[in-house]
Amino acid sequence: MRVFIGLITGMISGATPILLAALGGTFTFYAGVFNIAMEGMMLAGAFCAVVGSYFFHSWLMGILFAILGSLLLALIFVLFAVVLHTDEFITGIGLNLFAVGATTYLMRQTFKVKGVFADPGIVAIPSLQIPWIKDVPVLGQILSGQNVIVYLAVLLTAWSAYTVFRTRFGLRLRAAGYNAASLDSSGVSTARMRVLSLLVCGVLCGLAGAYLSLGYVRLFAENMSAGRGWISLAAIILVNGNPWGIALISLVFGFSDGLGLLLQGYNVAPQFTAMIPYIATLIALYFFSVRQKRLQKV
Amino acid sequence: MNQKTISALIGILIGLLIGAVILLVQGYDPLATYQALFQYSLFGLYPLSTTIKNSVPLILTGLSASVAFASGPVNLGQPGQLVMGALLATIGGIYLHLPPALEVPALLALAMLGGALWAGLAAFFRQAFNMSEFIVTLMLNMIADFFTAWAISFPLMDRKAFSPMTPQIDRAGWLPDWGSFNSAIPVMLIAVGIMWFMFNRWKIGYEWRMSGQNSLFARLGGCEIRKNFVAVMLVTGALAGLAGGLVVMDGPHRFIKGLGANYAWDGVMIAIVANNDILGTLFYGLFFSAIQTGALGMELITNVPNEISQVLQAVLVLVIVASREATVAIMNRSAARRKARQRVVGHIEEKAV
Repeated sequence: MRVFIGLITGMISGATPILLAALGGTFTFYAGVFNIAMEGMMLAGAFCAVVGSYFFHSWLMGILFAILGSLLLALIFVLFAVVLHTDEFITGIGLNLFAVGATTYLMRQTFKVKGVFADPGIVAIPSLQIPWIKDVPVLGQILSGQNVIVYLAVLLTAWSAYTVFRTRFGLRLRAAGYNAASLDSSGVSTARMRVLSLLVCGVLCGLAGAYLSLGYVRLFAENMSAGRGWISLAAIILVNGNPWGIALISLVFGFSDGLGLLLQGYNVAPQFTAMIPYIATLIALYFFSVRQKRLQKV
Repeated sequence: MNQKTISALIGILIGLLIGAVILLVQGYDPLATYQALFQYSLFGLYPLSTTIKNSVPLILTGLSASVAFASGPVNLGQPGQLVMGALLATIGGIYLHLPPALEVPALLALAMLGGALWAGLAAFFRQAFNMSEFIVTLMLNMIADFFTAWAISFPLMDRKAFSPMTPQIDRAGWLPDWGSFNSAIPVMLIAVGIMWFMFNRWKIGYEWRMSGQNSLFARLGGCEIRKNFVAVMLVTGALAGLAGGLVVMDGPHRFIKGLGANYAWDGVMIAIVANNDILGTLFYGLFFSAIQTGALGMELITNVPNEISQVLQAVLVLVIVASREATVAIMNRSAARRKARQRVVGHIEEKAV
């Protein structure tokens, strides 16, 4: 039972950052922006979260800073891709590398350390104990006592699904990606929708970053997003951007993360267990392409 | 001067200006910093030769990315291909004992094989299951990273070492030392030369370029798209693997932790700023290497951390690409306006007659 609960908890904490980043990416996906900068936005968020939390001794300031840092990257994306019409792929790659360089540089500049910054002064985001539910055996240990951001991610999934499919904003957003010319001719600026989608993506990736550095662990390490932004991109592609589908896929990736942690207890080399989420992505892509092929035949 | 050079120069200038603003905000003197940066990378025989030596892995991975992007496949797997090439070259170097004249080429070939195999895996996934090589190569990067980390901490670990690394490779596999001129440079130049000829003079390169620009046109013209895709992946993988092999054979002579550094991503950036042009890759590879090499010296005499070079590089990439596309847009607009004016003038003249 302990193993089972550990696996589920590991799954949830592994899934959360991927879910949040992928939800952000889904807005840009529907708006027709080829946004691959989630990786960089998340990393910027993770760094700024530590800065805010460390200097203000408050995890709320950490989250605020994470969102601001990630938004800054989103704004640079807007400047280049939407205003200057630079290629989106190139902007994304450039921004990701900018985030790696800038956070490494700023970490050394602000905290005078290289590689990893861990300090007792960093205030972590607390966990939430839900009354009554926490006393339920097994279920209580899973549903209660999770990080605040985890609950926020669940709410945001529902909010994203509602916003994209049930509101006027969502309709316009999807129109921007589906047929930009007809949206423009009906008097709504496509560029404006794309900018808004990027800003939403910035906020959500900022939360993902804050979770990485203040929830998952309590430190900042160079390039700590470690490909999660790319995995979230894969998650979006796999389910065509549907937020509930993304939540499911994120849980699958989270499970592979938790499985890795579990296998380490069984004397499997840590390098192999660390590979599991990436291999899981490849397997998921395989099933996706098999399904595509079958759909094409019909 | 043509439009390309002008827009590149404008981009470099604006990029350096933004870098100067960043330095000013941090309270450093930008002029002194830039002076130190270029003094330690360009002026003098030793700085210059170090810059050229350091540019080898950057240019080779950049070449790999350029050739791939120009021919269609979005091969972003250079980081993984580089470490796999390095690993195979290291294994060869540990177990093969040949005279140097054979050992060096054998290890280079093994490095290329390692990179090509890793890229070939992605090509296989694409051909057999139609999985997008873009995400597959990215995932394979992470897997290769962990795989090599495992290989050097368990089966290949040097028992005498305190941190994960392999034993040294056979002395015969070390690249010969030619004073201030590094022997990895001719290998890199040969690779650049071959790729340039392939792309600009040979039929196969023409097919690749056409497939990259318009794959439908290439297919209707009789190119075997699928075969070319695999060939491009294998060749670009081999180039990235070669970079890894040279890093091992020239530098630490063993596979150490963190060997791949950031070479391959820098290479991707170089390909992007060079607009996938082979000679452009050579130029920007040298330029980026100058920034990185100079940054280490700069740190010695100013207080600016050398990590600023990474920031500067990313800023330069974004600004140079944006200025290139903006220049094209401005040129197009002025051409359109000129044409429109001619139309109007012609119209008025017609009426006057």
